[in-house]
Amino acid sequence: MVDPIGAGLVALSAAIAVSATGIAAALGEQVIGSAAIGVMAEDEGFFGRGLVMTVIPESIVIFGLVVALILLFVTLPSIH
Amino acid sequence: MFEPQPMTKVVIAGSKDYMRVAIDVMHKRDAVHIADFVDEDEDFKIGKPYASATELSERAVSLRSIASYLSIKGKEDISNKYPEGAIVDTIDAKTEHLNFEVTQVTASISEIESKIKDVKDKQRLLEPLKSFAMPLDLYTGYRSLAVFVGTLKGSPTISDITSDYELETVPYGRGHAIALFVPREFEDEILKRLQEQSYAALPLPDMEGTPKDILVDLGAQLTELESQKQKSEEDLADLRQKYIEYILASDEYLSIETQKAEAPLRFATTTNAFIVEGWVPTKDLEPVQRDMDSATNGHVIVAVDTSEGADVEKVPVALNNPLPSRPLEVLIEAFSIPKYNEIDPTKLMTFMYPFLFGIMLGDVGYGAVCIALGLLVSRRIKSKGIHDLAIILAYAGVLSVIFGFIFNEFFGVEAFGHGGLLTFIEYPAIPRLDNVLTLLIVTLVIGILMLTLGFVLGFVNERRQHGLKHAVFVKVSWLCMLWGGVLVIILILPPLTSGTGIQLSAGLVGGLAVAVIGFALLIMGEGVIGIAELPSLLSNVLSYSRLLSIGISSAGIALAVNRLSDALFFSKGGIFIIFGVLLLLVGHAVNTALGILDSGLQALRLHYVEFFTKFYRGGGVKYKPFGFERKYTEEK
Repeated sequence: MVDPIGAGLVALSAAIAVSATGIAAALGEQVIGSAAIGVMAEDEGFFGRGLVMTVIPESIVIFGLVVALILLFVTLPSIH
Repeated sequence: MFEPQPMTKVVIAGSKDYMRVAIDVMHKRDAVHIADFVDEDEDFKIGKPYASATELSERAVSLRSIASYLSIKGKEDISNKYPEGAIVDTIDAKTEHLNFEVTQVTASISEIESKIKDVKDKQRLLEPLKSFAMPLDLYTGYRSLAVFVGTLKGSPTISDITSDYELETVPYGRGHAIALFVPREFEDEILKRLQEQSYAALPLPDMEGTPKDILVDLGAQLTELESQKQKSEEDLADLRQKYIEYILASDEYLSIETQKAEAPLRFATTTNAFIVEGWVPTKDLEPVQRDMDSATNGHVIVAVDTSEGADVEKVPVALNNPLPSRPLEVLIEAFSIPKYNEIDPTKLMTFMYPFLFGIMLGDVGYGAVCIALGLLVSRRIKSKGIHDLAIILAYAGVLSVIFGFIFNEFFGVEAFGHGGLLTFIEYPAIPRLDNVLTLLIVTLVIGILMLTLGFVLGFVNERRQHGLKHAVFVKVSWLCMLWGGVLVIILILPPLTSGTGIQLSAGLVGGLAVAVIGFALLIMGEGVIGIAELPSLLSNVLSYSRLLSIGISSAGIALAVNRLSDALFFSKGGIFIIFGVLLLLVGHAVNTALGILDSGLQALRLHYVEFFTKFYRGGGVKYKPFGFERKYTEEK
C-alpha cells in the first residue's frame, strides 16, 4: 500500500528542488547575461567567453535536477 | 595532428627601388602575414604610402556613390569575371561617363518627384472646395470684401455680427469647408469668431477654373508624372544591369590597388631600403622565395628568421583541418583562436559535438528534420557562418537519428520494436522515460570520460608550454582526484543508500590514496588557492546530467503533443481529424525548434565550459595573409 501523503510530499520536494534552483539560476544569469551582451556590443569576439560566463549559474539547476531525479526515481519507489 | 599549419618567420628586405615589385609579388601570392612595424627609431621609420593612395580613395568614393544610386551592394553573385587589364586604362573616363549618365537619370527622377509633390499639395488644398462651383480667381482681389476660405469644426454662426454676408458650406471630414464673403470692416471680428471653431485657412493656389475642373486636370498631370517617373526608374535599372559587372570589378580593383599603395605603412624603411617582417606557411615559403627572386632579379631577398624562439604568442594561426571538420572551426573561432603551440580541438569537436547533440535530441523524426534543414540551408545560403552552422546541424541530425533508434523515438512515438508501429523491426531499445537512472549514470560516465580527455590534452599543452613538472602539478593532480574520487564514490554509494555499513576494501583505500596524492600535487602546483577550485570537479561531472534532462523534456513534450491531439481530436473523428493534424504539426514544429536551439546551445556549453576549461585557452592571432580574394576580377 503506497502512502499517498508521503508520495505527494516526495513529488512536491522534487518540484521545489527544480523550481527554486531554476529561479536562482535565472536571477544569476540575468545579471551576467546583460553584462555579456553589453561587452559583445563592443567586441563580437567575446561571444564564446560571454556564453561561458553566462551559463555558470546553470550548475545550480543541474544540482536541483539531480536531487529531483533521485527523489523521483530512488526515494519515491521505496515508499510503502 | 591537432596542430595549426606550421609557419616560418621571414624577413623580406631590399632596395626601395624594388619595393613596388615586392608588394606586387606578395599580394599575388596571398601568403605572407605581415607583422606591422611599429617601433620607430632613428634608423628605421614606418614607410610612407604611395601618392596614388589618395587618388585611388577618391575614385573609390565616387564609384561607391554611383553604386549606391544603382543599389549595388557589393555582395552580388556575378557569373563571369572582369579582366583587370580592361579596367586599368579606362577607369577614369568610364567612371566619369557613368557618373554623368547616372546623375542625369537621378536628377530627372528627383525633378519629377518634386513636381509630383507640388501636384499633390495642390490636390490637398483644393479637395475641400471641390463642390464649390465658383472659379478660383473669384475668391481673391476684392477691395471692399474680405474672403475666408478654409475648414472649421462646426458650422459658423455670424448673423449676430452682420447679416450682410455670403456663405457657402459643405461638410468635409469631421467639420465643414467654407467660403465666406463679408464686408471688410467686419474682417477682424469674424476671424476671431471663426478661430474659436478651429478655423484653418486654405492658401489657394494661383489658378484659373473651378476647383473641380482643376482637380481633374491635376489628376491627369499626376498620372503622367508617375508614368514618367516609372520610365526613369526603368532607365536606372537598365543602367544597373548594364554596368553592374564593371562597377563591382572596378571597386574590387580599387580596393586591391589601395591595399597595395598603403602597404608601406606596415613596413620598416630606411632612406634607401625597406624591411618587412612576417610569417609564411612553411609550405608556401619556397614558392614565395622563387617568385620574389625571379621578379626582382634577386634584388629583394626573402630570408628565414631563425632567431625567433620565445615569442610563440605572436605567430599567426591558420587552422589546419580536413574538409569535413572545417565547418566546426566557426565554433572554435567563436570561443577563441588557439595559440600556435596549443592543441586545436576542431577535429575532436567534429565527433563530440554531434554526439552530445544527438544524445539530447535523440529522435529519428527530429533528427531527419535537422538533416533536411541543414542540407537545405547550406545549399541556399553561402554566407560563411550560417553555411557552416547548417552543415553542423546536418551532422548533429545524423547522430540524433542514430540515438533516436536507440531510444526508440519517432516524433515521440515508440515506432520500432516491441509494441511499436513497425513490429517487424525488433531490437532491444532503451526508451528514455523508462530508464532514467541507468541513463543518468551513462551521462555521468560520458562526463567523466570527457573531463579525462580534457585533462590529458591539458597535460600535453602544459608540457609544451611550461614543461613536464608543471604539467604534472596542474593536470595529473586533477586526473588523480577525478578518478580516485570516482572509485571512492562507486564503492561507498551502494552501502550508503541501502543503509549497510561501509566495508574497508583494497579498492576504497586505493581510491582514497590516489585522490589524496592528486590533492597534494595540486597544493604543490597551485598553492592553497587550488582548493577553491575543488567543487568545480563535482559540478562539472554532474553538469553532464543535462544530456539526460534536456532529452527527457524534449521527449516529454513530444509525448504530450501526441497524447493531446489523440485525446482531444483524433478520438472524436470526422472534422476533428483536421484539428488533430494541425495540433501535431504546430506542436512538433515548436518542439523541433526548441530541441535544436536547446540541444545546440547545451552541447556547445558542455564543450566551452566543462571541456575546454581543462586544456584550452585560445587567444591566438588569426592568420591574415597580405592579398585579396578576388570575386569580380581576373588578374591581367
